[in-house]
Amino acid sequence: MSIHAQGMRAWLLQRLSGAYIGLYLVVALLVIGFGPTLDYTRWHALLSQPAISIATMVFFYSILIHAWVGIRDVLVDYVQLSALRFSILMGLALGLISMGIWVSMILFSVVSL
Amino acid sequence: MKFLIYRYDPESDKKPFMQAFELADDEIQPGMMLRDALLKIKSQDETLAFRHSCGEGVCGSDAININGANGLGCLTAVSSLKQPIEVRPVPGMPVIRDLVVDMSQFFKHYRGVKPWLIVHDSEPEVEYLQSPEDRDKLDGLYECILCGCCSTSCPSFWWNPDKFRGPAALLQSYRFLADSRDQATEERLEDLDGPYRMFRCHTIMNCVNVCPKSLNPTAAINNIKKLMVKDMV
Repeated sequence: MSIHAQGMRAWLLQRLSGAYIGLYLVVALLVIGFGPTLDYTRWHALLSQPAISIATMVFFYSILIHAWVGIRDVLVDYVQLSALRFSILMGLALGLISMGIWVSMILFSVVSL
Repeated sequence: MKFLIYRYDPESDKKPFMQAFELADDEIQPGMMLRDALLKIKSQDETLAFRHSCGEGVCGSDAININGANGLGCLTAVSSLKQPIEVRPVPGMPVIRDLVVDMSQFFKHYRGVKPWLIVHDSEPEVEYLQSPEDRDKLDGLYECILCGCCSTSCPSFWWNPDKFRGPAALLQSYRFLADSRDQATEERLEDLDGPYRMFRCHTIMNCVNVCPKSLNPTAAINNIKKLMVKDMV
């Protein structure tokens, strides 16, 4: 998503990502709660299925998008100095993107296509 | 009855201070409103400045901060308040003197939402018709008296008073978006998009809490967002 997403687009992205995070967590809790004990082999078996791997990746991306919009909202309110706000936003974007790449690498290393 | 009133005259005071006043029990009538008490205090000290006019919650002149919450002096019974009653100007606005604030910014935002009917069709010969059902959609919107209690209690308005329209102006914007006779929906929605004008609202709902007319600007803002989503898809 563009770091310029603002107004309606940012608001909508935050709502949609929030809804997906909620939905994923409910399903994940049901799977964990009602399935067999979760050990390494079961985690591995679950996440090697492409559908679950993709759903999990979308879950982590949703968290990153949700965090981006939320933290940017706070910064726009409280950090009035443009240069300082821009630097913090850049740092935040860098951090979130690296986390996105990291989680993708982990998920890709497990999935069996 | 004890009062603590914010005093500040930029011409003579270095900084604002709270001044104590007292009204004798025989001066307090049953059901007496704060505005009447302020008028009695003003007869003790004529230099006290505050705005007021109709005294019936219609003109919206006497918005003040009463014991920490915004409200109208003319609709707040003194008997309902904890003593000493602390009276301050509404927060976040430049103080002109004592309880009188400069409302220019507030009205700039009000003008900014074009609070009038915009019709592109040629004018009808007789009048603009509206069904009773469509007229009902304006209930809870048209009653706003522009006292500013809501916008001046909104943290988003405090942080970005020059860019965020504020709950009062946004309620008025929806009043025209909801009007079946208005034909500028697209332009109005486009004008409110972007990070500041409307989307600084984080549904804190201080506006709903303090509105002396029991209106709901947060609901109006949510309705504008729904219209934007509808407009997008």
